[in-house]
Amino acid sequence: MINNLYRAFVDATQNVFNLMLNLSEISDQLVEDYKCDDEVDIAIGIVGDLNGEVIYRFPVSTSLNMVNIMSGMQFEVVDVFVTSAISEIANIISGNVLTALSTSDIKCDILPPMQHKPDEDKEYELKTSCCINTTIGEIYIDIRLNRVC
Amino acid sequence: MLWKDQYELGVSLIDTQHKELFRRVESFMQVLRSSDSWDKKISQIDETLEFMKKYVVEHFRDEEEYQRSINYPGYEAHKQIHNGMVKYVLEVSKQYEKSKYNEDLMQQFGGKLLAWLINHVAAEDQLIADYAIKKGVSGNDK
Repeated sequence: MINNLYRAFVDATQNVFNLMLNLSEISDQLVEDYKCDDEVDIAIGIVGDLNGEVIYRFPVSTSLNMVNIMSGMQFEVVDVFVTSAISEIANIISGNVLTALSTSDIKCDILPPMQHKPDEDKEYELKTSCCINTTIGEIYIDIRLNRVC
Repeated sequence: MLWKDQYELGVSLIDTQHKELFRRVESFMQVLRSSDSWDKKISQIDETLEFMKKYVVEHFRDEEEYQRSINYPGYEAHKQIHNGMVKYVLEVSKQYEKSKYNEDLMQQFGGKLLAWLINHVAAEDQLIADYAIKKGVSGNDK
């Protein structure tokens, strides 16, 4: 299950980055601990057969590069516009993952994106993290979910 | 330039409307991100918002009509996505007026609109074109 979830998030991220940002050189790796102070954390709540949240951790430089590619403009700082644009990308990736999971009869919904850091005190049955490497920077995805019986 | 040729679906009416949408969103972003004071930008922002409210509805209607004409199986799901976006645009517009033209609200709207539009046209709408080509009905255009 955990491997399927990991793969679903990586595949969806690759597809979205390919279609929206024209990035095809993308690789992924499992990560144990990730520490970065200079990042934007976007949490997407998941409810249904799985319950919890997925946190997309976009380093500032990656965030700016993403919005620069999409807009064709030059953004220098992460502001409300940039945060909103990358929140929507996190929303799109999560939506695509849930569509993929629904073919395995796992039914879930996503909640609107929120900007916050992971809550390290909570326990999760399905917990994994991945780092996605692209030519415009890295993205970290923390998956923290529980099965709902 | 925001528009990219790879977004073309091969359906002239829809492609023309998509180009116009991208052109308007691009000029909206240029106003939104210019160094002018917010007060100076308000009239142009209002103009674009009014355009979006009308044009998005008109474009979605035409695109849905095209989907029905080719019996696109994803029609209902696609219509739901359109309805969600129309609802969002109308809600933001209402909040913006109520807030007496709050800048952050428009910056937030601009960021979401940019990512949503690119994904919708590059991914969701492309599925319509793929279906039309597969079924040999890609010439069923107005």
